[in-house]
Amino acid sequence: MTVNEMLPLAVIASSLLPGMVIFALPEARVGLRSVLNLLGAMSKLVFVILLLEGVARGEVYGFRHTVLPGLDLVFKADALALLFVTLSTVLWLFTTIYAIGYLEGSPHRSRFFGFFSLCVTATVGLAMAGNLFTFFVFYELLTLSTFPLVVHRGTPQAMRGGTVYLAYTLAGGALLLTGIVWLHGLMGQVDFVHGGSVAALGPQATAQIKVVFLLLIAGVGVKAALVPLHGWLPQAMVAPAPVSALLHAVAVVKAGAFGIVRIVYEVYGVEYAQSLGLLKPLAIAAAVTIVWGSLRALTQDDLKKRLAYSTVSQVSYIALGVALFGPVGTIGGLAHLVHQGIMKITLFFAAGNYAETLGVHKVSELDGAGRRMPLTSAAFTIAAFGMIGVAPTAGYVSKWYLGEGALAAGMDWVVAVLWTSSLLNAAYFLPILYRLWFRPPPAAWPAEHIPARGWRETGWLLLAPPLITAAAVLVTGLFAEAGWSPLAWAKLIAAREYLQ
Amino acid sequence: MGETHRRTRIPAVTHASLIASLGWPLALMLALWPARTRRLAQGLAPLAPLPALWVAAVLSGDAVLELPSVLLGTRLGLDATGRLFLLFTALTWLAAGLYARAYLAHEARRSVFWAFSLATQAGNLGVCLAQDLASFYSFYALMTFAAYGLVVHTRSAEAWRAGRIYLVMAVLGELTLVAGLMMTAYAAGGTQVADIQVSTPSPLAVGLVTAGLGVKVGLPLLHLWLPLAHPVAPVPASAVLSGVMLKAGLLGWLRFLPLGYAAYPEIGATLLLLGLIAMFYGVAVGLAQSDLKVVLAYSSVSQMGFMTLGVGAGLNAPGLWPVLLPAVGLYALHHALAKSALFLGAGVALKVGGRAWVLAGLALPALALAGVPFTGGWLAKSALKAGLIALPAPWADLLGVALPLAALGTTLLMSRLLWLAHRLPAQEAAQALTPPWLAWTAAGSLLPWGFMPAWPWPMDWTGFTLAAGPVFLGLVLAFLAWRWPLAAPAIPPGDLVVPVERLLQALVRARLRLNRRAAQGR
Repeated sequence: MTVNEMLPLAVIASSLLPGMVIFALPEARVGLRSVLNLLGAMSKLVFVILLLEGVARGEVYGFRHTVLPGLDLVFKADALALLFVTLSTVLWLFTTIYAIGYLEGSPHRSRFFGFFSLCVTATVGLAMAGNLFTFFVFYELLTLSTFPLVVHRGTPQAMRGGTVYLAYTLAGGALLLTGIVWLHGLMGQVDFVHGGSVAALGPQATAQIKVVFLLLIAGVGVKAALVPLHGWLPQAMVAPAPVSALLHAVAVVKAGAFGIVRIVYEVYGVEYAQSLGLLKPLAIAAAVTIVWGSLRALTQDDLKKRLAYSTVSQVSYIALGVALFGPVGTIGGLAHLVHQGIMKITLFFAAGNYAETLGVHKVSELDGAGRRMPLTSAAFTIAAFGMIGVAPTAGYVSKWYLGEGALAAGMDWVVAVLWTSSLLNAAYFLPILYRLWFRPPPAAWPAEHIPARGWRETGWLLLAPPLITAAAVLVTGLFAEAGWSPLAWAKLIAAREYLQ
Repeated sequence: MGETHRRTRIPAVTHASLIASLGWPLALMLALWPARTRRLAQGLAPLAPLPALWVAAVLSGDAVLELPSVLLGTRLGLDATGRLFLLFTALTWLAAGLYARAYLAHEARRSVFWAFSLATQAGNLGVCLAQDLASFYSFYALMTFAAYGLVVHTRSAEAWRAGRIYLVMAVLGELTLVAGLMMTAYAAGGTQVADIQVSTPSPLAVGLVTAGLGVKVGLPLLHLWLPLAHPVAPVPASAVLSGVMLKAGLLGWLRFLPLGYAAYPEIGATLLLLGLIAMFYGVAVGLAQSDLKVVLAYSSVSQMGFMTLGVGAGLNAPGLWPVLLPAVGLYALHHALAKSALFLGAGVALKVGGRAWVLAGLALPALALAGVPFTGGWLAKSALKAGLIALPAPWADLLGVALPLAALGTTLLMSRLLWLAHRLPAQEAAQALTPPWLAWTAAGSLLPWGFMPAWPWPMDWTGFTLAAGPVFLGLVLAFLAWRWPLAAPAIPPGDLVVPVERLLQALVRARLRLNRRAAQGR
């Protein structure tokens, strides 16, 4: 086995193995568990950096293992895979740190961190999947490993949220599986290749191919929370904050969006999908989702629910970018995969801090929280401006490229969608900022768990992650055109997808 | 050898100066946060515009800082227009800052004011330096959002209302601007001002950019926030809001409309019409006001109408732009100086009452606004008129009548201002406020002379009569109105915003009723 075959497996193993050990650890071994967690996260980061450096140089990383004749487990760490893997790896590290602080002293932590590791394992596996079968395997693993996290608290509300989550995602998985099996029947194994491979089936299969496209997109669309398949996401917000971060930024919805990218670009091929007229409906579905999610977010008083609807809206920017035929839209969508991740994780970290520190769960209880928790609130503010798309944040850059991509594709109406969405984003984020910074704080917080000590408004494990990710929101926007930015990586991918 | 030496050394100073002009206000803002550096930062805050002033006044010609990896490819630098805007922006902020130091002497939430003020200032200065749309928009957004803190500074009920309306309209404006810029950049094939100024975007793109920035400029119907937000802020903040921040919108027009390159007759005509409406509408509604600062805010709506005329004419007849551009710039400079002096003076009048020396100090910039010969306003109006009368029919004739009438209107409005100030009861002497105000008033009357285009207009009796006649007539009318007062209808500040607000509230109430009914039904 060569190094180029081993590295992708190492990335998967670096969370799988610690996860297995953690399952077996007794509850009280906090130190060892934390060390294992962080060791896994750090070593994964090292492997990913090696991969990034190699892929930028033009190296090819892949691994193929035949499970059954005609059914291969394939991994490939190409530029597109690494975009997602890097995002997940980096944010997983921060989420782990955050989760250690967040769950301090609560029960069932071995179970929690075990599934936590499995979840990120599934995510990187799915990101590096080299064919539809492999993708499906990890897609389902992701469902199964996140369910215990969603219901972690065991309350009736959590169980209900978890049930809804499971119902939606398993149904999505079934649709996906149907599509995959159908396609296997038509053409055998479907590898992800630049430009897609379905076009080879020829014109007589067009009708079937369109139906399969619908099945596949609906299958991954459940996780991507495309309207009307989004119902599980607001229910799942009952999960603890680190899990929400995982669902909204690191793993689950991103897995869905990423699936759309792979299916359009590397199963169908963007030119072929366009010639079949499949991109326009996808763009419309994404646009509807963008506006609908924002409209629903407007009226939510529960902070995490408002953020959840915001995710529904924002994740569809990725699908929209994919559906805009042309490299600029692709760049915008792919960059947003990363940008949305760091912005939304910042918001959820901050929401978790308000809940954990002050017992504040509702928007209407946030009055004056900026004075009590200025650093958390500053992080929240930066990310919220990013979501609105105010320059110089990351959100501005992705919206800009999406707009330019839409114009290049002759879909000028998308600019109106972006306008509307930004307006709605402002309408549900600015009132929060107003409450944070301009309203007087209440006489007493609902349930103040963590007292302020000097500038340390809450535990430092809770404080550091949002500050770092908020800084990243600014830096990735401010230095968007630098060679190391997510945008630059998205450009690299777009160049490879379009220049055949 | 000496040549290379020069080339490598000058940029280093230039770059450092450009960065300092934006970094210094931001650094001071951050220094307000830790208790240890707060006093120092508060003391230095009035001097925050000094590096920018140095850049505008001293730094040589082609000062450019290229940062290709920042945003969408950033270019900061100065051209003639940017230098002029930077100069009066920095100067006005300096005057307002020195005034604020005295104004805020007994204010408990001083550092809150300074923090928002410094952030706003950094944005406002950055707008003048930005040579590409992404950095322009970044600074513009910083300015807009930070200024919210200035608008609501007093925390009064009116301040919250003004802040809400300000924010809603500002967000609408910015999103529209961004949409317009997206289309413009696509048509231009680049995000640099240099690319955009020689491109022909679709009329829709040009219209969106015009409207988006028009909110800041205070175009009629987009002005609703202005008469609420400008007066409610603390006086030094009002001075910069009305004096220079409106000009950020104007500068945006100069940057991102292909003025002098492509003709957009319909948009040009619309702007000309809006400019005309603004000139008279601002006066008409302003005359019905009884608060000094609200009168001044409406005067700003009216005065921005003059500059709107220049831009509209440029879109209509690109050939005239070389004459119009320096005139619009000069007008912006003049108005920035005069209006900020008036606001600072109004603050003095509100503190010490309508004493004679206060009225005299207010009269100087007021006469300049009206365009009395040998004032800055006269220079600016003459220069602008020289371009406007070259417009094709019917504009030339229309404007030939409208401009003197507008000067008459301005005279009436300024008379109203002085009359209101005169009625203020005499109170304690506010010495600390006076020196920065009077110094600024004096500087403001002299400075425009340094920027006039070289006498392109005829210096004859007709010119003088046309300038002085309306003012004289206006003073006569004002005198008559003083002797035989007419009951003017009271129009609430923000005029049309009141019915709009009622309509929206009714809609929200209807929606809530529906929700309740739905909840009961369930």
